Amino acid sequence: MSMSKDFDINVEHVTRVEGHGNIVLNVKKGKIEKVQWQVSEAPRFFEAMLRGRHYDELRPITSRICGICSIGHSLASLKATEDALDIEISKQTGILRRLAINAENMQSHILHVGYLAVPDLFGVGSVFPLVGSKNQDALLKIVKLHRISNEMSDLVCGRTTHPIRLIVGGFSMIPTEKELLNLKKDLEDAIKMTKEVAEVVKSVAGNFPDFERETEYIALTSDDEYALYDGDIASTDTGRHPEYKDYRSIMQEFVVPHSTAKHAKHKRESYMVGALARFNLNSNQLHPIAQDVANMFELKPICYNPFMNNVAQLVEFVHNIEDSIKWIDKLVDDGIEDEKPVSVIPKAGRGVGIVEVPRGILVHDYTLDEKGRCLKANCIIPTNQNHANIQKDMEELVPQILNKPEKEIELNLEMLVRAYDPCISCSTHYIDVNFV
Amino acid sequence: MKPKVAFFDFSSCEGCQLQIANLEEEILDLINIVDVVSFREVMKEHSDDYDIAFIEGSIMRPMDAARLREIRSRAKILVALGACATIGGINKIRNQWPPEDVKKEVYGDADLENNEYFDVFETKAINEVVPVDYYIHGCPINRDEFKHVVTSLALGKKPNIPNYPVCVECKKNENVCLFEQGKFCLGPITRAGCGAICPTNGSTCDGCRGLLKKPEVECVMEILERYDLTYEELKSRSLLYNYGRDECP
Amino acid sequence: MPKLEDVKIINKNEFNEFVNAIIKEGKYDVVGVKEKRERFVFDQLNTANELRLDYDVTILPPKKYFLPQIEKLMDYDLSKSFDVKKSDANVPRIIIGIHPYDIIAIEQMDKYYLDSQEDDFYKKRRENTIIIGTDIQNVSKYSFAASMDTHTTDSGFDLMLTDIGNKYAITIGSKKGKNLLQEYARVKDAKKSDLRKIEKKRNLIASQYMKKVDVKKEEWSKYLVANYNNTIWKIKSDKCLSCSSCTMVCPTCYCYNVKDEVSLNLKEGERFRTWDGCLLHDFTKIGSGEVFREDTTDRFRHRFYRKGNYLPERYGFVACVGCGRCGIACLPNIADPCNMINELSHFEKSDETNKFFIKQKTEIDEKGIIHIPRSATIKRIERLTSRETLFEIELDDKKSLGHNPGQFVEVSVLGVGEAPISVSSPPTEKPTFQIVVRKVGNVTSKLFTMKTGDKIGIRGPFGNGFDVKAMGGKNIIFVCAGLGVAPLRSLYLYVTDKKNRNKFKNIKILYGCKEPNEAMFLDEFKSLENLDDYECKLTVDTCPEGECWDGEIGLITTLFPKINLDKAASQDTMAVVVGPPVVYKFVIESLKTMGFPDENIYVSLERHMKCGVGKCGHCQINGIYVCKEGPVFQYSQIKNLPEAFE
Repeated sequence: MSMSKDFDINVEHVTRVEGHGNIVLNVKKGKIEKVQWQVSEAPRFFEAMLRGRHYDELRPITSRICGICSIGHSLASLKATEDALDIEISKQTGILRRLAINAENMQSHILHVGYLAVPDLFGVGSVFPLVGSKNQDALLKIVKLHRISNEMSDLVCGRTTHPIRLIVGGFSMIPTEKELLNLKKDLEDAIKMTKEVAEVVKSVAGNFPDFERETEYIALTSDDEYALYDGDIASTDTGRHPEYKDYRSIMQEFVVPHSTAKHAKHKRESYMVGALARFNLNSNQLHPIAQDVANMFELKPICYNPFMNNVAQLVEFVHNIEDSIKWIDKLVDDGIEDEKPVSVIPKAGRGVGIVEVPRGILVHDYTLDEKGRCLKANCIIPTNQNHANIQKDMEELVPQILNKPEKEIELNLEMLVRAYDPCISCSTHYIDVNFV
Repeated sequence: MKPKVAFFDFSSCEGCQLQIANLEEEILDLINIVDVVSFREVMKEHSDDYDIAFIEGSIMRPMDAARLREIRSRAKILVALGACATIGGINKIRNQWPPEDVKKEVYGDADLENNEYFDVFETKAINEVVPVDYYIHGCPINRDEFKHVVTSLALGKKPNIPNYPVCVECKKNENVCLFEQGKFCLGPITRAGCGAICPTNGSTCDGCRGLLKKPEVECVMEILERYDLTYEELKSRSLLYNYGRDECP
Repeated sequence: MPKLEDVKIINKNEFNEFVNAIIKEGKYDVVGVKEKRERFVFDQLNTANELRLDYDVTILPPKKYFLPQIEKLMDYDLSKSFDVKKSDANVPRIIIGIHPYDIIAIEQMDKYYLDSQEDDFYKKRRENTIIIGTDIQNVSKYSFAASMDTHTTDSGFDLMLTDIGNKYAITIGSKKGKNLLQEYARVKDAKKSDLRKIEKKRNLIASQYMKKVDVKKEEWSKYLVANYNNTIWKIKSDKCLSCSSCTMVCPTCYCYNVKDEVSLNLKEGERFRTWDGCLLHDFTKIGSGEVFREDTTDRFRHRFYRKGNYLPERYGFVACVGCGRCGIACLPNIADPCNMINELSHFEKSDETNKFFIKQKTEIDEKGIIHIPRSATIKRIERLTSRETLFEIELDDKKSLGHNPGQFVEVSVLGVGEAPISVSSPPTEKPTFQIVVRKVGNVTSKLFTMKTGDKIGIRGPFGNGFDVKAMGGKNIIFVCAGLGVAPLRSLYLYVTDKKNRNKFKNIKILYGCKEPNEAMFLDEFKSLENLDDYECKLTVDTCPEGECWDGEIGLITTLFPKINLDKAASQDTMAVVVGPPVVYKFVIESLKTMGFPDENIYVSLERHMKCGVGKCGHCQINGIYVCKEGPVFQYSQIKNLPEAFE
């Protein structure tokens, strides 16, 4: 039957992902003529925006690269700026920024797993049909967890999307002890709810395809913690790379004609970043309850199934809650200071800031002039680094599912793309320009 | 009959649509009072039959303008959602340079002729391509304002969007004025409706909801002098979200 | 200076214990002056250590505790028929550290809000608050309170603190204050030497004021009235951003706007009020979109006149306490009244200080609940034209509205808002009345879609109606232009009613509108033709092709030559004119030519009327409130008001 199949699958603007991408599959007489992951997102030319701008403005502008990981872009931007200006932030700022990045990770992961990925497992088109169904309770918990995550980033950053309080040298405003202790209460409630949600996801997790392809994984790694805010670049193939300014030797970008977004590779034709990559490299540093959740899903390093990125996100969600509680305790024990940000003396220099955002490793690289204005800028976005891997996964997956009905092939390909939690509009914002 | 509502996005960070997901439990109220027939970011289903279209993002290419015109022809009411849509926002910063220059900078000598994906013109706000019925300003939008617009439309009344500066809300919050802290705030000439959220968090207003007054006016000059700030700084700051705008929607 | 027996002494430690005790008690919300970055604010106190009684001036005055920035008036449930619940925020509060000028400002606010139409929300907050004032310790460089005589006060507080070294002298100002001290504080009696210390302290503070106003408070009006058209207003206002920061931080500003907001489930909603400012462009906006005081210069000038002339004429005090907040807040530095008056003092002054005000007994002595609407039902709907509809309304408590012709009501459509609409029917014992609604804004457009049996809210009747007594024994000529026929109908149906007809002499009704399809009540006019000593003339501006019209054609002023009115009769005739602003000019001109004295001409003016009781400030025409002194005026009263016929 499959030997003489002739069909085309053309998913224009995949739903339940951020940004615009297309899946194209042409099969003639049972032979795969073309399988392509296309990015049709309009290029936004963020590189142009940073030209000549004052160092104070770089964070507000780059924050607008992405609505979901605006905190991540902000932090990478600030780290790059502070690196260029030789600014050392205080311990308290470091802790608050870790809370910020935890909050973002939580908000993004629960949105992705709960609203974007899970509907496929329940065989529905979105979360809305779950209202009034027997799974309404799980949905309401997901919503509540999403709200707690947002309230956390609202508190630490002033606003969860396009965070106001994150500025060069520190914070424009610090949360009070009372506010942090209230947050801690909410986080403790959240752990219980997450376990219940995890049970529900586990009950349908069998609907994830059982697919594997040996892949290189790249993420930050650190001796002190499960790295998100700080760390060295690490690869499952080549180990640790402490020379952070030389990230280009690992993350090699290239242009493809069917994509307005660049692709990237290292030792192989592609590599993967994101929650699964972080898990594969750093799972031994997860906090205990997160570890329990990983065990619940039998998720162990190194896992080569991209669909398990969804599970890795759930695991990280729990880890972020535990981590945040730990940091809040530290802040309260040490006593919170109403610190002013570190003052800035403009100087020429180059700085690189690397953080892990929900979708993977993110690099901002700035060169400033002596007045502190931006001369040159470059960004490596996580999803750029995943595009090639999505393509390769598709090429490997399609032959394995070619026997299935068309609708199921289409759904599986969509689920594959969704599993990466791509942030497509971010990925069309690579910045790679020299200005004079 | 519940109005049918659809969400669309063009060149944007999708942060404004995210604010709708950020309604949290209230999103269940939303789907009770309107019929969401298309919302690509969170739903697979799509229908071309809608009454109200919410548009996020700016228009960069002819193919996007064409898609927008089709949406306009189907919708009874079109609402621009967020600064990229209402005034062009951050996306418009690149309009300082001709599109050809910018394309060359980014893609170098790559052969992009006849490739409609790369056929970029000047960034346009939505109302530069089609007529817009209502505006929800901000970068990102204010969820309360979104709720106000939706409930107003559902109740058949015109939404009430502030026509006064951020200072009103900033003073009501009893913030210490950013000017008194030696900083340059665009609040006095920016449209309110955000609750003065940036000054309330210790940061200057950057005008993301659109300027009420052109920066050239006499009154602003007086302030610049009094606080020892330069006109260049003002122009540069006001360009962040409001590049090239003469009128406020 | 206080009396010896009213003053107690407490040392500073024990004062802190006193404050901590009342905080711990938990019965009160204890607020005091605290630091906020470089400035000071009134905020909730957690411990006495946070108090900064040495402050110069707070960002916002304590008015925020009596008229909050946002205050809920009522909740309603749209899923029920007419379910309205008045808000009852009732927090007992102690405010520590209010300066004398702010205390005086609160006393001024009492005059505005606790008049014959008491604002019960304000009243409750006042009754629930204990004011512990403090003498000033550090003078703000923007303040000129000493030359306004507001830097000290002997009344308006429950307790007043004076720092006399390592102790405080506490002056008891009320029973509440006395009881509070007795319950929580350990104090000693004061000695005569303590009184001397208080006096010394106050004199010392007075001498620290660098800023002085050159004109005595009592004279401000004179300079203002003489300089209404001075170019200085334009010169200054060219720099004005219309940001209204000056009014937001002012302790004597109290204008507010009222809005309806509904939650996303379209069921629960609330009506709330929030601070508004007369400097804002849309402050005077009415349903049709029209704006008065459109020029920044007019708005900028208005604020100074309100403070220095209009309110003083009405209440007898200058509505400025010299706190200096507006001087700090105004970025282009033009809002400061001290600078303004000092500059004006170089020009002429005039004794005609009541030029922009009308003294008129308009008080409706009714201490009712003024903000919450009563439930009413639409009994009958008659579509009059494509834009206008007549509604017959019945109050659900079956009481009569009790209105005079010319008064108006505030009509609520819950969830949408409230609009002021004239009553179109004559007074009656029945619980029904009629209104004519033109579809212009949100509320009126919504009303247009409603059906009989639907519920609306009614507040009122408000305003100063037609002086029916003065019209007794006179001829009356009604000039109804366009929608002006709606309020006039309540009067002409009254005077032509069999019961009342013989109280009035000759009655003429002139009615004009744009086109025949806009004409209303034609049948009614026809039915009046049987009356004695009565004449009626109808006209349209134009009659388009194909439309039927057997009346006159031409502007309404063209009707005057057609009625028989000689100059002698005009002395004995009252002219009652209502129409759009543009019509007044020409009609009044015609009436004057016909010999009408100014006192014989009555008009009804329209402005943005929100509260209906002279508090929200939106309907001001110079020094008068259209909702209180109007909407009906004698032309003689308003002919010199520059803003009357904008």
